Amino acid sequence: MTCAELEILLCDYVDGTLRAEERTALESHLAGCSACHELAQDVMGVTAFMERVAPAEPPAELLTRILHELPTGPPASEKKSWWRKLFGGWVHGMLQPRYVMGMAMTVLSFSMIAKFAHIEPRQLRPSDLDPVKIWAGIDDRTHRIWDRTMKYYDNLRLVIEIQSRLKEWTDQEQAQNTEASKPKAVSGGQKAEGSGQKPEAGTSEKKR
Amino acid sequence: MATVAIPAAKWNWAPPYPQVRTANNLDADAQLVERCLTGQAAAWEDLVKLHTRRVYSICYRFTNSDSEAQDLSQDVFLRVFKNLKSFRAGEGLFVVWLTRLTRNLLIDHYRRTRMDRATDSIEDQVKVLEETTAVLSRTDGMLAGREASEVLQAGLQKLSPELRETVILRDLEELEYREIAQVLNVPEGTVKSRLNRGRAELARILKRHKVRI
Repeated sequence: MTCAELEILLCDYVDGTLRAEERTALESHLAGCSACHELAQDVMGVTAFMERVAPAEPPAELLTRILHELPTGPPASEKKSWWRKLFGGWVHGMLQPRYVMGMAMTVLSFSMIAKFAHIEPRQLRPSDLDPVKIWAGIDDRTHRIWDRTMKYYDNLRLVIEIQSRLKEWTDQEQAQNTEASKPKAVSGGQKAEGSGQKPEAGTSEKKR
Repeated sequence: MATVAIPAAKWNWAPPYPQVRTANNLDADAQLVERCLTGQAAAWEDLVKLHTRRVYSICYRFTNSDSEAQDLSQDVFLRVFKNLKSFRAGEGLFVVWLTRLTRNLLIDHYRRTRMDRATDSIEDQVKVLEETTAVLSRTDGMLAGREASEVLQAGLQKLSPELRETVILRDLEELEYREIAQVLNVPEGTVKSRLNRGRAELARILKRHKVRI
């Protein structure tokens, strides 16, 4: 028997549930292996120690406390119908007082805003439900909103300033480029004069 | 260190805590659960009376705090009340289900209070050592009963949670290896391996404090 095999059987040895031949093999290993012998002694010793330990008793008031805290409502096994399983949580949430109060405050806020903004509520007519009309209305409103947004954006002072600054920079850059190209042309003519007849011949050839 | 509370005489923990689980106990558990699910308040009272000692004992041995063990025991039974419908009598024992629920709460609690323990651990260890030395000087190293219980508590706190829970469930709560494996959701071989390591470590700790084992 190896040390690893002994470790597997040690719990059963401590419990006294090993078969006779396994027990003999284990004990003969213990007789020859000091490390396993010490391990077995420790394990059996501490098991015996724990048998002498007094059980941990709960205080008297704990039972009362637990029974007092347990809910007295319906048991946990109450069966729910299928529609309550599907919508129970949703409906339950909507019936919460805070949700109802929130909805009431929202309606009140909208009605006050409409009153102060002089928005007159109009009676809904069957013709208002025509899909073509609804689509045209949405399209019209979208374009109007887009145009207004663009106009607002273009009229922003920051945007105007940035655009004018960019224009200034572009103009400056162009002016610098034109100035830089002029001296180059002059120096090119001087070089041609200093170098003798060839450039002139070249230029006369090009002219031809 | 918190002391082990002794129940007042007025509370008779009846029916008594079943150390050996027989077929009758198991049937009684299943019937009790069924009665609880039908909404009988008396059944809930019986269930709590029957299992409070086990739940409290596991919590106390694991946390080493009477107040924490009481709070956790209360949480366990609240959770039992909410989740009892998920227990299936045919799939396992109620004791195993209850112990698994207790263990899960303990692990949650252990993770939640990690920072508190990190700050308190040095003070606690010094205190426990002083108390252990004082106890040993009176008893010549051979401890039993409540004194042994206190020393054991100090030793258990030095084990890792995995080893501690295994030793508690086997040596103090006397669950079968198969049941411990179900509670901890590990193979039986792992349970035995942890048990050997836990016991050996505990023996070393006790011997270091000159406790005769």
